[in-house]
Amino acid sequence: MPELRARLFAPARDTFWGAFAALILSLLISFVAIAASGRDALTGFADLFSGAFGGPGPLGETAIKSAILVLTGLSVAVAFTVGLFNIGAEGQLIWGALAAAVIGQLDVPGAMALGLLGAAVAGAGWGFIAGWLKVRRGVHEVISTILLNWIAIHLVHGWLVAGPLAAAGSGATVSIAGTDPVSASAWLPRLFAGSRLDLGFPLALAFAAAVWFLLTRTVRGFEWRAVGAGRDAAQASGIPSSRRICEGMALSGALAGLAGALLILGTEHKYPGVFRTGYGFDGIAVALVGGGTALGTTAAAVVFGALRAGATRLQLVGIHPSFAELTQGLAVLLVAAPRIFQPLLARLRGRHSAAASAPPVPTVQP
Amino acid sequence: MNLILDFAPPLVFAALGGVLSERAGVVNIGLEGMMRFGAFAAAAGAISSGSPWVGVACGALAGAAAAAVHALLSLRFRADQVVSGIALNLVALGLVTFLLEAVFGSSGVSPPCPALARDRFGHSLLAYAALGVPVLFHLWLAHTPAGLRIRAVGEHPRAAATLGIRVLPLRALCVAGSGVLAGIGGATLSVGIVGQFDARMPAGQGFMALAAMVFGKWTPLGAAAAGFFFAAADALQRQLSFSLRAADLRLEGIFLALPYALTLLVLASGVGRTRAPAADGIPYEPEGS
Repeated sequence: MPELRARLFAPARDTFWGAFAALILSLLISFVAIAASGRDALTGFADLFSGAFGGPGPLGETAIKSAILVLTGLSVAVAFTVGLFNIGAEGQLIWGALAAAVIGQLDVPGAMALGLLGAAVAGAGWGFIAGWLKVRRGVHEVISTILLNWIAIHLVHGWLVAGPLAAAGSGATVSIAGTDPVSASAWLPRLFAGSRLDLGFPLALAFAAAVWFLLTRTVRGFEWRAVGAGRDAAQASGIPSSRRICEGMALSGALAGLAGALLILGTEHKYPGVFRTGYGFDGIAVALVGGGTALGTTAAAVVFGALRAGATRLQLVGIHPSFAELTQGLAVLLVAAPRIFQPLLARLRGRHSAAASAPPVPTVQP
Repeated sequence: MNLILDFAPPLVFAALGGVLSERAGVVNIGLEGMMRFGAFAAAAGAISSGSPWVGVACGALAGAAAAAVHALLSLRFRADQVVSGIALNLVALGLVTFLLEAVFGSSGVSPPCPALARDRFGHSLLAYAALGVPVLFHLWLAHTPAGLRIRAVGEHPRAAATLGIRVLPLRALCVAGSGVLAGIGGATLSVGIVGQFDARMPAGQGFMALAAMVFGKWTPLGAAAAGFFFAAADALQRQLSFSLRAADLRLEGIFLALPYALTLLVLASGVGRTRAPAADGIPYEPEGS
């Protein structure tokens, strides 16, 4: 059936198939790496699967991790839309988490909503700095967001959480106590018994839908995409590109901040003394594999969330959970170079539609 | 002053690596990952051979191998260079942790490895090399035919190609060389300073090297000077933090954030504002392909 085949592997679907092939191939490579290190890779993969999908508990873990990756992935994807590469989701997430942890201590009705809002504002502020530095001072956002990450990590972990905001009564030696716990009225409600799944996952999906609508169905979203596609052309046609870039970076930061709030209000229930999540950096991988769209980013987030949830089980067979990072990194490496899969896709497509064009990769403008 | 000579070499070597790659027109965000591979391979090589210098060589080779992946993806497959570099960093994060666990059975640190010999001032040979290499690199880049070719493919690859320079192989060579330098930078962390590999290495030094390169206006001497400046800021921070007993007051974070904030301020002040090599980051398609 050449028609079906031609349609299934149409050039428009190259991005999807490229990401799909990259994921499969990276899992294969990780499998070989584990087998080569003398571990039982087959049992490991079975554990990985049951740790991610085997029953309500594991499914809940997958959903929790996916929810956070959806938001950090969207954060990076929104920045891509205005043509910026936001490496700073990690720092924005940290400020969001701190805001949620502080506001969540208020024992008032609606503390949860206030915590989420505060986290979004805090993250947005940190993201805006990078946007402002880019358009006003000409500092490349890759450099500035990396520096802002380290500033956030050190200020929050080495000072605020260890000092002024540390839990009352923690002794001089207890520097890993974290903040006071958030009040129960600020917790994200759990949805099912037997699983830690909370309101975070539905919230993340709602935000993904909102971002999709904003980017593809509104004038503002169109202007952002225009700025991302070509800043000079957008400016020439009357779009205030500097302002749009700052807005995009603020929204990007807000989404990462919300991811931090989900962590604090959903599972941690305080700002812990040791809090190196890596979710912000994983957001880069999620957005790249997801092709920079809201739908693709959500799908990639669920895949990587499952990988993260399942990887904790791998420790049982002596495989370090860094396996998840390895697989993720390989997937991005393969997605980064869509031309690797071009010959394969061209063959699958058959000889009827030879016109193969390289699928668009999120491109960063200097 | 002693601390500066300790802290500077990783930054200086990696920043020079960045200069080499970007002057040839290939953006290299992957410095962090190359340093990580270099630091790990150096420790592993030093432990298995018993010689720290074999370790440094292993580190350089590992950096070059990681850089070869970057070159393959961004030059052969025309991947976006920033994305390819970031991907390399992610792979380095996972793969090195995986290898650390597989080779040494630990997820935190490697066993102690033979460290480089230090002279009576407490510095290894690599610390002095960090002073000399930038000068040699500058002379090479600015005053030799090879340096001219590299600058040509970074500024105007089409014109360089017209004069018979093979753009892509030369760029690949520069990226590999950049990996060698970043790998040596990583090696100075593990076998040079600490005497073992730590799973957190290089803890952002590769990114700082990138900032040093930008701050140093993509020149070898400027990048090296910026590397020393950052090392000085770090040393100052430690001195202040120590003498003010910041750890007891739980103010350590402020001091740790200081070098990064300072760097950001300097970049924002426009002192470092300058023009990147004209063809930096733009994939080159050879004619007739």
